[in-house]
Amino acid sequence: MATALPTRTATRCFRTTRPRTCNQHIHSRRAFHSYDHPPPPGPFGATETLILSAAYKHVPEHGFTHRALSLGACDAGLLDISPSALPDGAFSLIRYHLYTQRLALAAKSSHIFQGEDAPVGVGAKVTALTWERLMANREVIHQWQEALAVMAQPSHAPASLKELAMLSDEIWYLAGDTAVDPSWYTKRATLSMIYSSSELFMTNDHSPDYVETNKFLKRRLGEVQSVGGALGAIGQWVGFTASAGINVLRSKGARI
Amino acid sequence: MNARSGLRLGARALRASTPRAPVARPFSTTIPQYDQGKHTHFGYETIPEAEKQGRVAGVFTNVAESYDKMNDLMSLGVHRLWKDYFVSTLNPGATTPLGQPQKILDVAGGTGDIAFRMLHNAHVLNGNPNIELTISDINPAMLEVGRQRSLALPAEQQSCISFLEANAETLPSSIQDNSLDLYTVAFGIRNFTNMRAALKEAHRVLKPGGIFACLEFSKVDRFPLFNAVYKQWSFSAIPLIGQLVAGDRDSYQYLVESIERFPTQVEFRDMIVEAGFDVAGEGYENLTGGIAAIHRGIKPLR
Ligand SMILES: C[S@@+](CC[C@H](N)C(=O)[O-])C[C@H]1O[C@@H](n2cnc3c(N)ncnc32)[C@H](O)[C@@H]1O
Repeated sequence: MATALPTRTATRCFRTTRPRTCNQHIHSRRAFHSYDHPPPPGPFGATETLILSAAYKHVPEHGFTHRALSLGACDAGLLDISPSALPDGAFSLIRYHLYTQRLALAAKSSHIFQGEDAPVGVGAKVTALTWERLMANREVIHQWQEALAVMAQPSHAPASLKELAMLSDEIWYLAGDTAVDPSWYTKRATLSMIYSSSELFMTNDHSPDYVETNKFLKRRLGEVQSVGGALGAIGQWVGFTASAGINVLRSKGARI
Repeated sequence: MNARSGLRLGARALRASTPRAPVARPFSTTIPQYDQGKHTHFGYETIPEAEKQGRVAGVFTNVAESYDKMNDLMSLGVHRLWKDYFVSTLNPGATTPLGQPQKILDVAGGTGDIAFRMLHNAHVLNGNPNIELTISDINPAMLEVGRQRSLALPAEQQSCISFLEANAETLPSSIQDNSLDLYTVAFGIRNFTNMRAALKEAHRVLKPGGIFACLEFSKVDRFPLFNAVYKQWSFSAIPLIGQLVAGDRDSYQYLVESIERFPTQVEFRDMIVEAGFDVAGEGYENLTGGIAAIHRGIKPLR
């Protein structure tokens, strides 16, 4: 264990027990937030990162695809064959998006929380951060339904859900929520559902600046408060997300 | 490894004539100097050169079939699927733009199993015939099997293949530094005396960005129950079946033991990294609960 790291964590910080000689970058994923120490390096290897970051630039045009990966590999001075080192193929590129955009929230939050009309209170901050994260999908939103279909594949669903959980955790953390009580889980679960249904909504939203998505998000978050807590909303959200999600997937040819 | 002591025949046909003739022992490495001229396979018979070649080829085919049988036993019958999957994830021949050249070396690839799949993938699936594929093996008898089998391929695929007798631990200088896109080794590396040397060589010959890909029997330790059952199966049943099916208990015993000695997925991944490769994600992928695993490394830029 990484015992040397002093932790005063609101939640447990999982670390792996691998030898630290090599591949540190691979294994030190943190599952949940630690309030004290800086985030460990990401889950991608050096050359992997090189490929993914270059390929990411091709996503708006080519989607989260092998083609984007191979174009990226060539941009980075590597070979056509190089992306075959990536264990999950095109899904790696999706994970890269989820991962980098989640991490980018921290830097953005300091901007959002400064200035005249900075949100006050945990609720308003959660709303602002969730919106910010949704807007980080802007460039790729037209490719996102395909990505959701890939994420829903049985072999990728666990990793996708985990990323979603970590995003919720990040948002609550950045919003300054330090409560460690039974509502911890419901808060995260509820936000996960609200986020993913808003994201789905956004893939079909053609309004300028996604105003409809913005309204959708605010309604959902508002309902959670008015229904009297997160719990009441969960049933509703499961229903909505599941049916909307399934429809999208069906439209992509998933056999469900 | 002392495979040399007690060499047995892998093929019944041979055994019938001269039971002690040192032919290729399936799954073993150390038959370095296989000299066709010295063979006494056909006993005191004097047969025309041409006919002998034919018979020799027949024998090799039997050896290769014996390999297949072993693979079937060890893999619970699914090694062909693993090989298909192994090749499809590498997707040789897929280039942007289409039809760019690729240079591939299949090490310990005597029987051509992996090589032929890669050619199919490149030619047929990706419409890219611009592939240079070298099949190398330390054992010329195995290479001969590959050569024979390759005759069944379409001519344009045959013309992409060359054969090379070489020890993976010291590849000849004809395979130049930084010259390959892809290096594959399937069910071979376990047999190498010095795996680290072979990994270094792989690193030497690959271009920056080139891929080292290895398919090998591995460890199912993650699932204790499955592990127990599989070990029981492999240590007691397989040598016995080997005895019954191929009349060759020792080879099968060797096979099972060599798998047991092979490093775990993580240890082997770390060896790949030590040799200078980068890995993505965990660096390996388990197949069928870890009975086999695919390891991939990428040679970094610089
Ligand atoms: C089990 S066969 C693998 C055949 C084929 N690649 C497959 O997947 O079925 C192992 C091969 O490794 C070869 N081999 C063993 N040691 C070697 C070495 N040091 N260098 C090159 N090849 C070696 C053997 O001659 C044998 O053909």
